[in-house]
Amino acid sequence: MAKSGDGIRILQGLLVFGNVVIGMCGIALTAECIFFVSDPHGLYPLLEATENDDIYAAAWIGIFVGFALFALSILGIVGVIKSNRTLLLVYIILMLITYAFEMASCITAATQRDFLTPNLFLKQMLERYNKSDTDNNNDKWMAEGVTKTWDELMLQKHCCGVRGPSDWQEYTSTFRSSHKDADFPWPRNCCVMDAQGSPVNLDGCKLGVPGYYNSNGCYDAISGPMNTQAWGVAWFGFAILCWTFFVLLGTMFYWSRIEY
Amino acid sequence: MSSSWVVLAFCCLGQLCAGNSLKPQIAAPQLATNNPTLTTVALEKPFCMFDSSLHPNKSYVIYLYAMKETASAISSLVTDNSGKPLDSTFHQTSGGQLGPYKAALFDVPNCASPPKLADVGDVNKVSDVLKQYLFRVGDDGTCLYDPNFLAVCNPPLAPDTTYRFKYVLLDSTEGIMKAQTLWSDPIKTRRVKIPLKIDTWPGRRSGDMIVITSILSVLVFLLLAGFLASVGSKDSSAETRCMSQTIQQSEPRPQLSSE
Repeated sequence: MAKSGDGIRILQGLLVFGNVVIGMCGIALTAECIFFVSDPHGLYPLLEATENDDIYAAAWIGIFVGFALFALSILGIVGVIKSNRTLLLVYIILMLITYAFEMASCITAATQRDFLTPNLFLKQMLERYNKSDTDNNNDKWMAEGVTKTWDELMLQKHCCGVRGPSDWQEYTSTFRSSHKDADFPWPRNCCVMDAQGSPVNLDGCKLGVPGYYNSNGCYDAISGPMNTQAWGVAWFGFAILCWTFFVLLGTMFYWSRIEY
Repeated sequence: MSSSWVVLAFCCLGQLCAGNSLKPQIAAPQLATNNPTLTTVALEKPFCMFDSSLHPNKSYVIYLYAMKETASAISSLVTDNSGKPLDSTFHQTSGGQLGPYKAALFDVPNCASPPKLADVGDVNKVSDVLKQYLFRVGDDGTCLYDPNFLAVCNPPLAPDTTYRFKYVLLDSTEGIMKAQTLWSDPIKTRRVKIPLKIDTWPGRRSGDMIVITSILSVLVFLLLAGFLASVGSKDSSAETRCMSQTIQQSEPRPQLSSE
């Protein structure tokens, strides 16, 4: 009898430890998702304009789930220490619901990463950059967002186009329809700028003389941070879920063993 | 003594090369990477091509003619019967379709000291080097529509069209053609694609997504099974405990299965 009492004590201790870890991971997940949602790289307009910003949806769910995990872990600790059946039943049920939500967030983030192809951003850039004859307010707003984001991106990351400046040459675009090829083979922000913010040598930039235009594409600057963050949301969420799985199993076992 | 021989040999070699390339050439691709574009073609200026026709104490000027390749069937002559160069414009030949038009005129480039292409990395020298080294056909987007524009107009070319070019050396006092290059090899302006046709389908799924999804499905299944099992075992254990209590309390009575 004493032996099984010791076993219960050990199980109790493990469960409390497990819940402490869950709580801390929950806070960390919330923090990570808030960081992602706050859009530190200013790339959200690009995703928004693709009308496929589910990665952000995943992050929003992550915020909620992280906080829920934190709160539930406290409930779990209290329940385990008090060995209260009702409390633990509530804990298990709520935890299962949270588990389902976190699964949704995790799978969404993992799935949506695949959609961030160069072609997606290329098409969007060509169709929306510098678009002036917009259909409605929403369209106008998106076009402005895309134009502004691209201008800043090309200037700050010293890149041009999605794969490279030739994107602007190989395809027609809304930019091409308003800007002549002779003067604007690509947007001015593709030129290497001096300190005053004007091209170092405009003719060199137009002709594509090496050193006077940004020859590399922006895809890495877009997908890099986006992929890292989505990767974080997906795999950190997955790790939390794996840990929670064992804690939950343990709690269920404990719950089925305690006396009234 | 030997060094002068080397120089001489080098000069002969240069002459040979020049003889082979007496056609307008497209600008060096390592220098102008964006060439030809949709509506422009950057050409190397005729360095040393007309050396044999140049006499000192005379002033010369070079005309650049351009035409669509299809126009060569109609007329590829750039002079009239008296040896005077044609003055036809872009507009008159409907963009080079009916015959050559005069795209530009500039001074004879200096054969003795051509611009060094290595200097292009120097920010202070690059505009001079580019101006001396190459000429961009189709550079002027406005002259065609400007009624006040009287000089030689060099409007944008048509996309996806093959052009040929020719340099003509002119004695600027007499106005008579002294020499000319051959027509260049056909040079095609770029052609563009429509963004609507870009395929944005991501293609194959990444391994991450498959791993995460499958493992999570298994985990959630196990969790639910565990939950049901624990609820079931709790019920049954409670049942047995109750049963044993009832058995202890009233042994002779038969069990109540409803509990």
